[in-house]
Amino acid sequence: MRAMQIFNSGFFWFIEGILCVVMILGLRAFMRERGIPMPAWKWVVFGVWVLFAGFTIAFVGTSLGEGEPTAATRGGLLFGLIAVIGGAGAWRALVSGRDPGERAQVTDS
Amino acid sequence: MSDSDSGTNPNRRDFIKIAGVASAAAGGAGLGMFGYAAGQDPASYLGWQNQEGASLIFERKHYEVDVPTYEKIGPTSRPDARVENIFDRRGSFMRQLRSGGEFEEPLKSYYEKHPEDLELDRLSAEEIIPKRMADEAEYGDRFFLSQAWSDAMGAVGPDPIDSPPEENDFPRDRRGTPIEPVKLKGPEMTARLIKKLAMQFGSTLVGITELNPDWVYAYPLRRRGFENPDEPLEVPEHWKYAIVVGTPMSWDPMYANPNYGTSNDAYSRSRIIATRLEAFIKALGYPARTHIPGNSYDLMVPPIAIDAGLGQQGRHGVLITPELGSNFRPAVVTTNIPMKTDRPIDIGVEDFCKHCKICAEVCPSGSITMEGKVEVRGYRRYAIDTAKCLNFWMSNLGNMGCRLCVSACPYTRKANWLHKSAVRITAADPTGLSDRALTGLQKSFYPGPDPEDYYIPSLGGDNASYREPPWWLRTEDFIDLG
Repeated sequence: MRAMQIFNSGFFWFIEGILCVVMILGLRAFMRERGIPMPAWKWVVFGVWVLFAGFTIAFVGTSLGEGEPTAATRGGLLFGLIAVIGGAGAWRALVSGRDPGERAQVTDS
Repeated sequence: MSDSDSGTNPNRRDFIKIAGVASAAAGGAGLGMFGYAAGQDPASYLGWQNQEGASLIFERKHYEVDVPTYEKIGPTSRPDARVENIFDRRGSFMRQLRSGGEFEEPLKSYYEKHPEDLELDRLSAEEIIPKRMADEAEYGDRFFLSQAWSDAMGAVGPDPIDSPPEENDFPRDRRGTPIEPVKLKGPEMTARLIKKLAMQFGSTLVGITELNPDWVYAYPLRRRGFENPDEPLEVPEHWKYAIVVGTPMSWDPMYANPNYGTSNDAYSRSRIIATRLEAFIKALGYPARTHIPGNSYDLMVPPIAIDAGLGQQGRHGVLITPELGSNFRPAVVTTNIPMKTDRPIDIGVEDFCKHCKICAEVCPSGSITMEGKVEVRGYRRYAIDTAKCLNFWMSNLGNMGCRLCVSACPYTRKANWLHKSAVRITAADPTGLSDRALTGLQKSFYPGPDPEDYYIPSLGGDNASYREPPWWLRTEDFIDLG
């Protein structure tokens, strides 16, 4: 129980922030490799989806921690379904505007 | 496996991509663990941590309003505690029933006006209590630990006041000489000091208001030391201000109502806090008088707490605070020490309760109305059938009372990110859309037993609890029941 308290600490959010930055860098590298432009609106779409998916996971965890397995199951199914469908839509939006010819010109920076 | 073993040497971009995927997975897992830790966090058991005011986690200033959210619609009158306070009335009823003969005034006139209450009071004495006692012998063992815990919590607490205001309220030294009031440096500083002291004495929330005489009983409760309780209670001049203090009930047993929770834990603490506050104010030379739970009041507490900015009244008649929801057991100290008062707040409870109705759906006795508000003594409020409510209390095994409406209220949730966000969303949303959405989610995600299941077996139920009791109240795990 005491060990779990690290997840309620500022240190946890510091680590979570680092992981978030690495995730963004990974997405940027992936998109560059495929020559897919990433204007600001795509980052907003990505950010909203990450927040919603994160909310879903945290909701399930919190409900289990509170001793509310029904809320965890039903919330996980409802929000999870929305996250999956939303994720598919968000992915299509993210990979839109792909220019295959651009891939060769992109270099690491 | 080394790079040479695998025969691959991922370039920088591949590394970043893999690291990104790994970070997403680790971040997601971390959020799950964060959620689990938040759900179990001892700090979410608000009201039981410290005396530094850390429980005041809601910024009231944004939600302050000029007038309280209850609606005054006509000439007002004060309640007659002898018949309108269900505990006092039921006590008189039982005494007069035992002595035989006709009911005396004011009970006689009350029953002529409200024959349905006479029926319900009779039902309790003649049917419900005998059935409860029979079931207690058969099923009561299961609640042994919760009853022992409740008795222990209720074992500590000052005695209720047993003398009238002119005797009790004014400070005197050991020789009986009146104590002169100290010179204070202004109402704002005094309010700050009083609130700090209330927190220091253990109060979770504290608010100050000028006392509205409408909330004082027209006739006093019998046990408050008034020489003749059948004489009208004149509101003393020195009851100018009311300080509202209080604490929540222990959270885990509270969710296991109606039979495992108890009011005694919060009652005991609220009594102690109010009595210490009374003593402190008297030490400053000012008059003070406590009005404390279970049933030692000269006034009605919930509307005073609303005036003091602690919350709003819900459909179930209970005060709903943004921090503790309905899980708040208040006490009041009346005094004339000059203080700056708090302003009432509007956190959207009126609109929320209009649509929610969960308390009314959960209530086994049907005491909470599904309909709109009615006029009660010049104010609009939801009607509560207190006689039906008390009859369920009397039928119940385990600890005295029910409190299911408190447990099931969507506002009554521990102080973690999830539930506190929901309170902030409903408070800030003027459209009412979030009220409906959150009510729908609440009903779908947090179901409980059917209302009839809460009854004892001889009344058609199976002693259900809203949630499972905490491990330390499960008698069968600790005591050999044979």
